Amino acid sequence: MKRLVITALMLIVIPSSVFAVSAEEIIRKLEENTVFETSRVDGDMIIRDRFGTKKSSFISYSRGTDDMLVEFTSVEEEGMKILRTKDELYLFFPEAEETIRMQGAALKESVIGSDMSYEDMTGGKGLLASYNVTLEGTEEVGGYPCYRVGMKAVRRDVPYYSQTMWIDTTLFIYRRVHKFSRSGKLLKNITISEIREVSGRQVPVRMVLEDTVKGNSSTEFIVRGMKIDIPLDPGIFSLEELSW
Amino acid sequence: MKFLLRLAWKNLSRYRKRTIITAAALAVGLGAYIFMDSWILGIEKESERNLVWYETSSARALDDGYWEQKDRLPLKYTIDEPEAVLGWLAGKKIPAAPRTVFGGELIMHKDPFLEDGSLTLRVLAIDPVKDDTVFRLKETIEAGRYLEPGEEKILIGAWLAADLGAEVGYPLTVVTRTRDGYYQTIDVEIAGIFNCPNPAINKGTVFIPLDTADRYLEMNGAVTEINLRLPEREDADALAAALESDLAGVAPGLDVKSWRDLAEDYLAFAGMKKSASNIILILVFIIAAVGISNTMIMAINERTKELGMMRALGMKDSEIRLAFLLEAGGIGFIGAVMGVVLGVVLSYWIVSRGVDMGGLIGDMDIGYRVHGLFRGAWHPEAMVTAFIFGIVLTVLVSFLSTGRALRRGIADSLRYS
Repeated sequence: MKRLVITALMLIVIPSSVFAVSAEEIIRKLEENTVFETSRVDGDMIIRDRFGTKKSSFISYSRGTDDMLVEFTSVEEEGMKILRTKDELYLFFPEAEETIRMQGAALKESVIGSDMSYEDMTGGKGLLASYNVTLEGTEEVGGYPCYRVGMKAVRRDVPYYSQTMWIDTTLFIYRRVHKFSRSGKLLKNITISEIREVSGRQVPVRMVLEDTVKGNSSTEFIVRGMKIDIPLDPGIFSLEELSW
Repeated sequence: MKFLLRLAWKNLSRYRKRTIITAAALAVGLGAYIFMDSWILGIEKESERNLVWYETSSARALDDGYWEQKDRLPLKYTIDEPEAVLGWLAGKKIPAAPRTVFGGELIMHKDPFLEDGSLTLRVLAIDPVKDDTVFRLKETIEAGRYLEPGEEKILIGAWLAADLGAEVGYPLTVVTRTRDGYYQTIDVEIAGIFNCPNPAINKGTVFIPLDTADRYLEMNGAVTEINLRLPEREDADALAAALESDLAGVAPGLDVKSWRDLAEDYLAFAGMKKSASNIILILVFIIAAVGISNTMIMAINERTKELGMMRALGMKDSEIRLAFLLEAGGIGFIGAVMGVVLGVVLSYWIVSRGVDMGGLIGDMDIGYRVHGLFRGAWHPEAMVTAFIFGIVLTVLVSFLSTGRALRRGIADSLRYS
């Protein structure tokens, strides 16, 4: 009986305490948790589609919200690099020894056959600068209580007009993201299946991205190793060094 | 002269077999030339016609920023008030149809399709009421029906439908971007399948109603182009230039491109093909010329003795040469007449019946905007050219060969065997 009363009290108290935070605060905390001064990630990308399963490996370096360099290390794509700076995205192909600035329709293309487009890698701008956010309630995702935050675009340079994020109420890391088309059709579903502590920070280490319109493929990102706030040569985020 | 003409005529009838064989060789060469020329011209003409009827129209009005970015199919450079332009064109009795062109990914799912898949292609949003005043897509529907305004339906080409295993009523999703750049999805159902003789349209373009696209792409009434049907295709450049300056007063900032501007890539390609075709025609001519030369040289050689006799009897070299030239001209005339007749017969067949190359070519892109039946076209200039060439060629060959024979001494000629 005592347990029942406590549970009932929790059900009444927790949601009100949960809603004490605003959607903006939740997003701010999320960005604090997911954006690092600098980072280096060793990871794998597993692409599953009707043709089978393909695994690619990569090392990625990031600095703040704007700069990111991804270098593929798996045999098939070895040496291929993607550089994101504040406003641009570049692609370097070692075989052609050529750097391409990705723009327009090229941004819609898939990154090495995965469910992620180059465009998904753009947009270093903060979420609050690009979207109006609304706290829509709380829901459990994979057994974890999450804030459900609805987002509507306020800028025209973002690819998704609306998104819904399920953000862990204690870790402030998203557990699930839905990205919608302008007419409201679900385009992409991102699910975090594992979060691990790295240098005292909670970071997602296993994530699945599904193209829900095509419906027949998924891409899993697995973080094998991660270092946070390490010294990085600033030159690695420059176009000059991309081809080296 | 009369004597020489009589002599030439006598020789023609005396060596009847040789005359017939030489003239026949010439006729076959010229006939082949006329036939090939007719066929290539027919393909080119039909290709241009299909280009204008199904792809470019006679001329197109575009925002002046569009052309440079055309390959990216931008929705940024639009005609914001198409009604004003359409109204003005209607006043000038120029049929016009607005369209919006955008890039999209066509998504299909297993059941009803054969398997899951996607395809990047060009989507044309057309006004179902006005479009057939300029284009002829409506006439090519082979299954289902044409589009109606406002519906969420799509038309796809027969080749594409065959590749996808698509039928009327099957659902598709088009993933694209709105004018502002947001991802957009348009769920549509196949209303009809068209089989257009322009392969570029048949395999890589789908059509949806303009107002449906306007709603989904948030165009607010803007379109990317207004297509025009001008009375004469040949004058399209001049008419387009005149329209551009006239339209400046109605909707400033518009470019009007003629079908030649719009199809510059195709025309460059067709130019290259034409050069290749001309090489084939030259080869046909060379083969004919070699055949005729051979026969003429043989004919003159075997008559070297006769030539020596004529000179011994006091005929001047110029008279002897003229007699041979007249004889050769006679063979050329007979061969040219036969060649033109043969060419006309073959051209009639290729013009009226054509050759169905659909099975051979399949859905291979040969560059020309033609598919299936390849017909020829009448080309009187080529027939006149072939006729004159046939006579001139035989006379020329005869002139050269007689020259050689006349350089021999009379005694040598008489001893020649």
